[in-house]
Amino acid sequence: MIVAEQKTLEEIRRMITPYARVLILGCGTCMTVCDAGGEREVSFLHNALRVAQAKSGNGTHTFSEYTLKRQCDPEFLDVLSDQITDVDTVLSLGCGIGVQAIAERYPDLPVLPGVNTSFMGMAKELGVWDERCAACGDCRLEETAGICPITRCTKGILNGPCAGTKDGKCEANKDMDCAWVLIYKRLERLEQLEKMRRYYPMRNFRAIPRPKRLTSRISVDMGEDNEDNG
Amino acid sequence: MYPLVDDTTREYQANQTKKAPVDHSLIPPCQAACPLHMEIREYVDLVAQGRIMEALQVIRSGNPFPSICAYVCTHPCEEACRRCQVDNPIAIRALKRFALEFGGDRMIQAEAETTHHEKVAIVGSGPAGLACAYYLRELGYPATIFEAHSELGGMLRVGIPQYRLPREVLETEVQRLTQMGVEIRTETRVVSLDLLFDLGYKAIFITIGAHQSLRMGIEGEDSPGVIDGATFLREVNLGLKPSLGKKVAVVGGGNVAIDAARTALRLGVHKVNILYRRSREEMPADPAEIDQALEEGAEILFLVAPTRIRGENGRLCVTCVRMELGEPDASGRRQPIPIKDSDFDHEFDTLITAIGQAPQTPVDFHVSVGRGSTIQVDTVTLTTNRRGVFAGGDAVTGPATVTEALAAGRLAASRIDDYLQHRYPLVSKETRESVSGDLLPETIEMIRKIGRLEPPILPPRKRKKDFKAVELIYDWEVAINEARRCLRCGMGAEILFQDKCATCLTCLRVCPYHVPYLDASGTIQIPDDQCQACGICVAECPAKAIVLRKLYDRRHITEELDYILKSAAQSTVKPLIIGFCCQYGLFGTGTLAGLWRGPGAGTWIVPVLCVAKVEADHILRAFEMGAEGVFIAGCGEQCARENTALWVRQRVEKVRRALAQIGLEPERLQSFILSATRENLAKEIDSFIEQVAGLYLASVITQEVKS
Ligand SMILES: Cc1cc2nc3c(=O)[nH]c(=O)nc-3n(C[C@H](O)[C@H](O)[C@H](O)COP(=O)(O)OP(=O)(O)OC[C@H]3O[C@@H](n4cnc5c(N)ncnc54)[C@H](O)[C@@H]3O)c2cc1C
Ligand code: SF4
Ligand code: SF4
Repeated sequence: MIVAEQKTLEEIRRMITPYARVLILGCGTCMTVCDAGGEREVSFLHNALRVAQAKSGNGTHTFSEYTLKRQCDPEFLDVLSDQITDVDTVLSLGCGIGVQAIAERYPDLPVLPGVNTSFMGMAKELGVWDERCAACGDCRLEETAGICPITRCTKGILNGPCAGTKDGKCEANKDMDCAWVLIYKRLERLEQLEKMRRYYPMRNFRAIPRPKRLTSRISVDMGEDNEDNG
Repeated sequence: MYPLVDDTTREYQANQTKKAPVDHSLIPPCQAACPLHMEIREYVDLVAQGRIMEALQVIRSGNPFPSICAYVCTHPCEEACRRCQVDNPIAIRALKRFALEFGGDRMIQAEAETTHHEKVAIVGSGPAGLACAYYLRELGYPATIFEAHSELGGMLRVGIPQYRLPREVLETEVQRLTQMGVEIRTETRVVSLDLLFDLGYKAIFITIGAHQSLRMGIEGEDSPGVIDGATFLREVNLGLKPSLGKKVAVVGGGNVAIDAARTALRLGVHKVNILYRRSREEMPADPAEIDQALEEGAEILFLVAPTRIRGENGRLCVTCVRMELGEPDASGRRQPIPIKDSDFDHEFDTLITAIGQAPQTPVDFHVSVGRGSTIQVDTVTLTTNRRGVFAGGDAVTGPATVTEALAAGRLAASRIDDYLQHRYPLVSKETRESVSGDLLPETIEMIRKIGRLEPPILPPRKRKKDFKAVELIYDWEVAINEARRCLRCGMGAEILFQDKCATCLTCLRVCPYHVPYLDASGTIQIPDDQCQACGICVAECPAKAIVLRKLYDRRHITEELDYILKSAAQSTVKPLIIGFCCQYGLFGTGTLAGLWRGPGAGTWIVPVLCVAKVEADHILRAFEMGAEGVFIAGCGEQCARENTALWVRQRVEKVRRALAQIGLEPERLQSFILSATRENLAKEIDSFIEQVAGLYLASVITQEVKS
């Protein structure tokens, strides 16, 4: 899941200054789960902005709110078409992808990001998330016992541990577990320690072009069928 | 002051809420067990909030004679109460009595309007007859009660002793009927129904009770000095003072036996022995009353039955046999079996038999009578074999209870209405389901154990002297604390908007009672029979997908805020301070009541179900309305729930951070949670109010300087 953090109220207030009518737009998927931009946070932000406006005595914004099931698919945005004509900006509490989806769909409308999209991760406990994947595009978890050194090793090295590991912790951050010690221990448990002894060639990140595109569609040659359907 | 909810903003939410404007709560076990289906959970909850008058309204609307039930109901609701699984049931009957006594149940009943011309006759004035008359009058029928005795009430008058049901109480309830315009004919024993039809009655309800005492079938049963329980109690209740001698035996183990024994003691008898053929466990009488009888000095000889009675020199020589318990019989109780050669003799002055009663229906009624001499009816329509003749109460069921009789009377009234209006009987179908299933061990473990609080009773020494009511009334605070123990079964949380649920698992993680779970298909379920209605998950759900099942719980904070907004606009007192307070402990018992007066003027209280239910949004909205300060006051360690303070503090901190960024002093928001170390909460709140007033003054001055 994508994890994000809501921007500070101060920053949000600064961003919306030029716009009179602001639609605060939540996202019902990842942003709801990570407490950054679901309906509850939309409503909280909405209320906070109103209080701020009321108390400061200046500012003449009118706010509206809505939470979509998901911002990153254009079809979900269809329900907005009525509301969107009445607003000057959309303050999106979707992740960076959501913000861009809206920008693409409404070319004439300024879109503002309400959250800082941070990483892909999982919940450790209520309200705590840890990064787990860097979306590198070349997964090596099979060799590293299901623990990602790219994300969880501060240095992201593929042939660890480095000399800085001490008592299972990382030299760069003594509170953090050394990813490579974790990998070692788990390989030991799985009786696959030979994987430690292998050398993994460096990866050329520059060889992975950005932006990436993926498809799960299988292209088939429709040949004559295509012509039949004409 | 700024407008609250107007723009398009909240329309979406409003529409969502409109989608389900119905009460989704389930029927709690107590209500399901009550023959009258009284809304127990609702009135107990209102008592817990200190809203006694409203509790009284709920009680009245479900029971024509609540004061009577408040004294003598056998409270099947308490046996069914789910709190039994945690510690002990809620003292429902005593709480009802508290509400009635405190709220003053001496309401005058307005005369009911007669809208139908068909006269209805009611034969018998026990609770079944009285209830039927009450509801028939409400429906607009002229109703006449025929009663063989000189006074109304049936067993309420001639059976139940006064120390359990004071006659003034009965009198007040009976008067209600006269005020409603029910015609009453006492000292009129009906012997033939044809006569009533001849007199122009279009329908008849037979509710003659079960007054014929059963015979023991042993030698010497008719000796002078042997009397049956029903007759004995009737004589005492009608003011006679039967002479009993010094030593009395009572045979039987039911409520009538216990009542007879305690009545005998009050008449000055030295020794009372209750002879019961089974053991205490099988005794059908109410355990509390058995205890009270023992306290008053009655002795119970268990596993003993009389086999022969001989009158000797004005005394009775009673031969008894000892019993042992065999296999359970049809009633589920273990069958007593006489032990060979265990006979022994006992001398008494009087022997009272109380082994049960049966109805005695005059043959000229020509209604068919079945097992145990009971009148046979169709249970849905209460019709007998005769056209236009209905029957109910003890006469149909055999000796039962007051509430069952009241329920039969109410049902009869509506069936008679159907009959007279030539309608197919309208069977009211309950659309809501009942709470079923037991609480899970992990849920029980997390429910704070709070023992049941009983109302005070007179000490045995005092109560033996006369027939004064034995049970006294709760103190205000004790009653409220007892009512707070209610688990509010079936009014908990539900995922109303399944489409919004992101399956984030927040509810599963925050619930203190381990209620929500993931089912095999990966959907979150909140089982309605486990939820404790604390509301924590409702406030924490990031998708706002969860609501409480009761409409009132869902809306009431917002509605209260709207109300304050309107009222405060008219008030000139500044600054406006809004407090969200636990509607039970603090608010209900009046600790905060003082805030309306004195230095706290300008302070408005929003009573909440539990402070854990106050959402960060509610607090912000209070500020938006123009509140200069907001506080939350909860009962902490006194709370029926664990850990509510944690949630309050977290939300307060969240809002405080927002306030700081807006340029408002975070001290304007404060939480007060009662604990052992924070006894003087009212004082702390006072100084908070002063502090806010200071901040307000400072801001007014800065404003003026600026302009
Ligand atoms: C000693 C005792 C204690 C009890 N304690 C409790 C208790 O604590 N809680 C509880 O819930 N229940 C208790 N009960 C049971 C309860 O009182 C009865 O179940 C209830 O009163 C039955 O109501 P009813 O209207 O069917 O009949 P009844 O109350 O028996 O009333 C029948 C009436 O019909 C009259 N009648 C009979 N024949 C005729 C006729 N031919 N013409 C005119 N009138 C006639 C009778 O005089 C009587 O007034 C107790 C019963 C007894 C005897
Ligand atoms: S806990 Fe409350 S709602 Fe539940 S059965 Fe008992 S009295 Fe009724
Ligand atoms: S309302 Fe309270 S008890 Fe019920 S599911 Fe939610 S958190 Fe659990």
